[in-house]
Amino acid sequence: MAKSYLLEILAVVAILAFCGIFLYTSSTMAGAEFSGSDNVGSNLIAELTGKPVDSFSPLIPQWEPPSGEIESCLFALQAAIGGIFVGGVFGYWLGQKKKDLSETNIQ
Amino acid sequence: MHIMEGFLPWQWCLVWWLIAIPCLVFGIWQLKKILAADREALPLLGVTGGFIFILSSLKLPSVTGSCSHPTGTGLAAICFGPWVTSVVCAIVLLFQSLFLAHGGLSVLGANIVSMGIVGPVVGYAIYRLLKDTPVNIYLTVFLATALADMFTYVTTSLELALAYPAEVGGFGTSFVMFMAIFAITQVPLAIVEGIVLALVFKYIVALKPDILIRLNVFSEKQINAARGEA
Repeated sequence: MAKSYLLEILAVVAILAFCGIFLYTSSTMAGAEFSGSDNVGSNLIAELTGKPVDSFSPLIPQWEPPSGEIESCLFALQAAIGGIFVGGVFGYWLGQKKKDLSETNIQ
Repeated sequence: MHIMEGFLPWQWCLVWWLIAIPCLVFGIWQLKKILAADREALPLLGVTGGFIFILSSLKLPSVTGSCSHPTGTGLAAICFGPWVTSVVCAIVLLFQSLFLAHGGLSVLGANIVSMGIVGPVVGYAIYRLLKDTPVNIYLTVFLATALADMFTYVTTSLELALAYPAEVGGFGTSFVMFMAIFAITQVPLAIVEGIVLALVFKYIVALKPDILIRLNVFSEKQINAARGEA
């Protein structure tokens, strides 16, 4: 029994540990802003080249989400698209399996 | 792992695009072939691709005090190989560069190389290496997915260090500095991603083992053994 749920248990433990580590770092680390590593990387580029971050302009003009809210909305949309695929297919497989089982039972 | 639009000189943009395009073309060709041979592969592509969509939208806090996102590419790489995975990644990255200003069209090639090519290739290589050994299949999936995630960020560091060698110490110093930002942040995320995707793989094995056997992801014997113990 315990062995058959080993992966589930491990996943829960890993996620809890991950949350624990986050709570610990966010309360103890001074200056932890939890900004994206993409931005931290861009700042390092600015540091290495000696040019301010603002001087890097897009080579190809691009649309930027006007606010953080709109950005998180679009990120949620992206995750939802993925979720629809995952949930839809698992449901489809589950239905297929059930049908196969009932057909073999009739025979 | 996105390199931001404008932060890579155009020469490097061109280099990474030239590497990415043949891989994408080959991936599309391979995908057509797989789907023509077996329509039942399509739902599996939906699940593995779906996880790339979900995981790459989650920006998680990490030990370095900054946030980063997992990639989710390992699962698709194991089931379909790295080139098909590149195609799915290209779609996700295009979405993010058009609507989210994460990455951009000029740096898309570089971002496809890190997340869509090098990461999945490393994951796939590890899976192939361990596939025919007695190593537990879930451990194989864990290692392949976690390292696909890690190497995506190592590649981003490499791409940036090549474009921006430090004045003192050159490429090596830059690489270490970028690794400190991207790779260290990624270690805990990669571990969690590996465990979660191994769990997802367990559910695929439980629900649809025949497609994994037909695509020769694992042998029938291995799948049956995994079903017996799980």
